[in-house]
Amino acid sequence: MRRRSIALSLFVYSLAWLVLALAVTAFLLTDLYSRALDTSLRETLEFHLETLVGVSLSSDGGELPASSLADPRFSRPGSGWYWEIRDSSGEAINFSPSLIGTVLPELTAVFDADNVRTEAREDGFGTQIRMIERRITLADSSLLITVTGNLNEMFELVDNFRGQTFIVLGAVGIMLAVMSAIVARFALRPIGKLSRAVEAVREGDAERVEGEYPTEIAPLAQEVNELLHSNTQIIERARSQVGNLAHGLKTPLAVLRNESAGSRNKIAKVVLAETEKMSGMVSTYLDRASLAARTAVVGRKSNAGAVLERLTRVMAKLHPECDVEFQHSGSRPIWFRGEESDLEEIAGNLIDNACKWAKSEVRVSLSANPPNGGGTLAILVEDDGVGLTVEQAEKVLRRGVRLDEKTPGSGLGLDIVKELVDIYGGTLKLYRSEMSGVKAELSLPAARGTTT
Amino acid sequence: MRILVVEDDQNLNRQIKDALTEEGYAVDVAFDGEEGHFLGETEPYDAVVLDIGLPQMDGLSVLEAWRRDGHAMPVLLLTARDRWSDKVQGIDAGADDYVAKPFHMEEILARLRALVRRAAGHASNEIIAGSVRLDVRGGKVTCDGKAIKLTSHEFRLLSYMMHHKGKVISRTELTEHLYDQDFDRDSNTIEVFVGRLRKKLPEDCIQTIRGLGYQVSED
Repeated sequence: MRRRSIALSLFVYSLAWLVLALAVTAFLLTDLYSRALDTSLRETLEFHLETLVGVSLSSDGGELPASSLADPRFSRPGSGWYWEIRDSSGEAINFSPSLIGTVLPELTAVFDADNVRTEAREDGFGTQIRMIERRITLADSSLLITVTGNLNEMFELVDNFRGQTFIVLGAVGIMLAVMSAIVARFALRPIGKLSRAVEAVREGDAERVEGEYPTEIAPLAQEVNELLHSNTQIIERARSQVGNLAHGLKTPLAVLRNESAGSRNKIAKVVLAETEKMSGMVSTYLDRASLAARTAVVGRKSNAGAVLERLTRVMAKLHPECDVEFQHSGSRPIWFRGEESDLEEIAGNLIDNACKWAKSEVRVSLSANPPNGGGTLAILVEDDGVGLTVEQAEKVLRRGVRLDEKTPGSGLGLDIVKELVDIYGGTLKLYRSEMSGVKAELSLPAARGTTT
Repeated sequence: MRILVVEDDQNLNRQIKDALTEEGYAVDVAFDGEEGHFLGETEPYDAVVLDIGLPQMDGLSVLEAWRRDGHAMPVLLLTARDRWSDKVQGIDAGADDYVAKPFHMEEILARLRALVRRAAGHASNEIIAGSVRLDVRGGKVTCDGKAIKLTSHEFRLLSYMMHHKGKVISRTELTEHLYDQDFDRDSNTIEVFVGRLRKKLPEDCIQTIRGLGYQVSED
């Protein structure tokens, strides 16, 4: 399906209506104007007719001076402005000087109640004329008085008017079109705002769609928020189920393991071996389950400095013989784009490992590039232990490998660290530290630090 | 050393209790949060093994309540939830260490030894008083490099006194810390065991402070 722009459709539709409405307006205006002109012409002609009637009634036998109508148009031959007085036999008694060289066409219309009839005709020169004729009945005879006016002049005026109307309405049309384009943009601004708000949620800058929206799209914003909320709830529920399952399975496994570990019985040995396998599977698949639940989380960010400080405090208690020093570069907080508990899991395992291997000192540092966020954050964990060779480092980063069975804790926890780092698109590298031990370099996505 | 084990799973509770008893600890057990909380409030324990998922009152609430009331004994948390966020929560609630299920019993024993030792202010696994050395990890006592054979009761007694060397310890305190709550405390067993210990150790190792109790000298 072709993607259509609402703004463009709005503009096109409003433009089409605009053109139609303006065209109809121009037509109606011109029509009204021409009707008004026609009426005014009739009134002029009726006035002249009345004058002629008055003059012919006061004179005797229709003997009239040729210039009895003052209007000079009646004197110009072929002007379209004529008058004529005829007797009942149709003989012209008198006529205007303009009628010299031509004759008026015969009227065919019927007289009305006032003995007046009117018609638009063509004179001998092909000029359109408006004719009014009145029949006057005298005691012994009757007179026909006809006055005509030039219709072409009127048509010319109407044409001029039409031209001007088109110019003016065209200008108005262009202004309205520009306005409707602006209005379309303006009306769609909240949609742009909504899309930016949703983007902010995805970026992790906001937990929900923020801001006031017009009534038309406010329900959409609300639905997005509801969706985010229910998503979060589903994930929380999945996680708590995973946690319950873990608790439920791990306690009986612990019992089985302890019960069989102390015995030399053959069955006990089988139980112990199988229990170990089950524990491994349980923890592997619980990890996977919680990782799967995690990938759907959008729009979380957490204060990396606060997480590391908390972990430093915890390590001081778990490893009192090891001195953990934390350094936070810059004064502004550095935000990790993701779940706080995930960062805790990643950094916790790295620092815990460093403490287990260290002789006496572990250094943790946090920095961001660029410092105002949006790029990546780097966490360095160094210890002064025995260190690793490159091959050992590679081996450690593979799943389920323990370097030293004597170090407490089940595995190095680096498998889950690696999976989490991969999910967040970060990197983890192990080097030999200048402090003689291992240097773990962790790089993770950072969020912008605009809101909390 | 007297330890409280709070764990709702009957089997696991028994296993931990057996392992600790075998290691020479006096052990009390509780099967739910309220009972555990009550025991921790009223009895002087040298350490507590506390499960987080408990009926009646969860482990973290029990721990927080103890800490609020000023009970500072070391607490080893036991839980199936082994994410760092859970550990941080547990440590912040006042726990001293953390073991995730399923665990090896040796791990619990090792962590407990370290907790008890650290709580008494000893940095290393070996506590020395004069010519007598106590290896906390191995449960061995030597005098001038020569191994001394002790019964488990004698070892418990010496271990407690050496953990708190330099301090005068009353008979009541010894009884409270060496025997679980079901023990008949009216007997003179403490005196009997001190007498036996004195015969196996150098003469000046355990001194009687008249009217107050016993003391193992600092060096």
